[in-house]
Amino acid sequence: MAVEEKTIEENSNWQKFWNGFKPYILALVIAFGISGAIIGILGYNIPKAYQTLLFTSFSSQRGFVETLKKFIPLTFATYAFAIPFRIKFFNIGGWGQMLFGGTITAIVGIGLAGLNLPAIIFIPILILSAMLAGALFALIAGFLKAYYNINPIISTIMLNFIAFYFVNFVATNAPWKAPQSGHPMTLKLPEAALLPKVFNQIHFGIVLVILAIIAIYYLMNKTVLGYEIKATGINPDASSVYGIKMKKTLMITFLIAGAMGGLGGGIEVMGVHSRLIEGFALTSGAQYGIFGILTALICQGKPLGVPLSAMFISILLVGADAMQRTLQVPVELVFLTQAIIVLMIVVLRRQAGGSYIE
Amino acid sequence: MKGSVDVGQLTEMLTQIISYTSIYALASLGIVIGGRTGVFNISGEGIMLASASAGFIAAYQTGSWFMGFVVGALMGGLFALILIYIHEKLKISQFILGITLVILGTGLSDLLYKTAIGVQLFAPEAPRVPDIRIPGLSNIPIISAIFNQDVIVYFTYIAVFIAFYIFYHTRIGLETRAIGEDPKAADVVGINVKLRRYVTTIIGGMFMGLAGAYLPLVVTGTYTTNISNGRGFMAIGIAIFASWRPERALLGSFIFAAIEVISFQQQLGASMFPYQFLLMLPFISVLLIMWLFNKKVEFPAALGKPYSRE
Repeated sequence: MAVEEKTIEENSNWQKFWNGFKPYILALVIAFGISGAIIGILGYNIPKAYQTLLFTSFSSQRGFVETLKKFIPLTFATYAFAIPFRIKFFNIGGWGQMLFGGTITAIVGIGLAGLNLPAIIFIPILILSAMLAGALFALIAGFLKAYYNINPIISTIMLNFIAFYFVNFVATNAPWKAPQSGHPMTLKLPEAALLPKVFNQIHFGIVLVILAIIAIYYLMNKTVLGYEIKATGINPDASSVYGIKMKKTLMITFLIAGAMGGLGGGIEVMGVHSRLIEGFALTSGAQYGIFGILTALICQGKPLGVPLSAMFISILLVGADAMQRTLQVPVELVFLTQAIIVLMIVVLRRQAGGSYIE
Repeated sequence: MKGSVDVGQLTEMLTQIISYTSIYALASLGIVIGGRTGVFNISGEGIMLASASAGFIAAYQTGSWFMGFVVGALMGGLFALILIYIHEKLKISQFILGITLVILGTGLSDLLYKTAIGVQLFAPEAPRVPDIRIPGLSNIPIISAIFNQDVIVYFTYIAVFIAFYIFYHTRIGLETRAIGEDPKAADVVGINVKLRRYVTTIIGGMFMGLAGAYLPLVVTGTYTTNISNGRGFMAIGIAIFASWRPERALLGSFIFAAIEVISFQQQLGASMFPYQFLLMLPFISVLLIMWLFNKKVEFPAALGKPYSRE
């Protein structure tokens, strides 16, 4: 009797596990099926295209480093959306927060160039400036929601464009502008402001992103604040009864989200480009901030899901770039694939009785 | 003599502003129409990109500008259909669907273009959209800017007027607006909420598609990557500025278009005032308007919310 019961329980555990994963697997099958069909119709070699798309990241050290280079900003952009999403608010502004964080990093970096600060002081100053800039920029949206009930979707979209033109302004005007540059860009940051390389391969951003993953996990699962955020997300009315201040929680989630986005932007400036350059937060022709939204939707914004999901999308992005280089398959196909994956996951999860995302 | 030159320049600039107004007016009208039944379609940027590409390809292949706009509108309608179908079926957030469709449109636009036309030495040119010059009026300086335009600009005037007339002077419009305010009440009095939501969303999507097709067919004459350049998002700001009223959306579109054209000219000439701040103005003003006139900006009460009968 007892044995039988145990098997049933095990079965139901497996059932639960399978039910949780089924939408993801189905979504991937459907999305890759559709993109495979498109690849076929366009007359490309389907197996070769898939192989390139999925395995470029693992086929060479360079491929893997490229993947990490995309993984770093994408993870930050994903957190920017994921954290307010836990309390059902949409921060479409990860993109603007990245741009703003990166721009302020460049301004501070160039501004302090004369002081000859050592890297050990200079880099933390820039990291803090990037986080603070992103946080304050995002706070505008949080504040407008908390006190004026302005939908963050709208305010963050508007802020994105403000940040976009701000980048252009700084990159094309004295005293920041690089002389004789066709493309808008600033002067190079001083050597001590640039992120060092880890293992001679990848910039220090990889360490920062791992620290951020740990910090966000700790925050969400081991602190009172994390508990409050989760409680507010599950039931805003009930949590206010227990003294959780909705407005405060809302603004804090935007602050954290903005800090993540801003840091992501700052790292791109300090670690990749060594300067502010228009389009510094782009990948495959679209903003990391936009991909971050999709990445967060794939994992429902769960703290540990974020790096997994970001890694998956980074692999696809690197694969898509390689697919375009070697097989001439347009890189845009990967946007389509990702959009279909997200659409399918949302639909299938919903059909399986998943979260009621209004 | 100098004065007359200025009038000529002013007229020319105004002509360009009014042409650009069409882009914003068509796109924001699309958002307004759908919004009136409570469906907030934020995928305008994706629709405009996909429609720009599909519309351009159609016009280029058939040699007919008209086919370009037809295909552009159909593409917009298709996107809107995806949005409203999934939303009505499963009540999934319109915003999640909208933002996903933005990415879908971004990818689809270049994919279609690269597949159908590919890289060419010279940018392929779209068939010209005919101009209509209203006799008499198109000869008066300054005023001529309104009456010396391409066909689509006149279509925009008419569309805004018809939308305004239907929404505010017909029973059907009143009923439709009621859905955006209180779908349940509308349902109780026997209005087919679901059907109207489908119809308005799809018509709205078609307008956004027209706005997208207008870009390569009139504004630039050819298709380029990211041709919409955020205008689909700006249209959302205009819809808010307009409190979801078609005639105010036209006014808002004119203001946004004027800022774009003026800042473009500043960019060419050396000016003390950085043009980037001019370009920020529309976005800052949307935020300021929502903040300062918080109570006066009217949203359809049920905007963005799903409706189910239970």
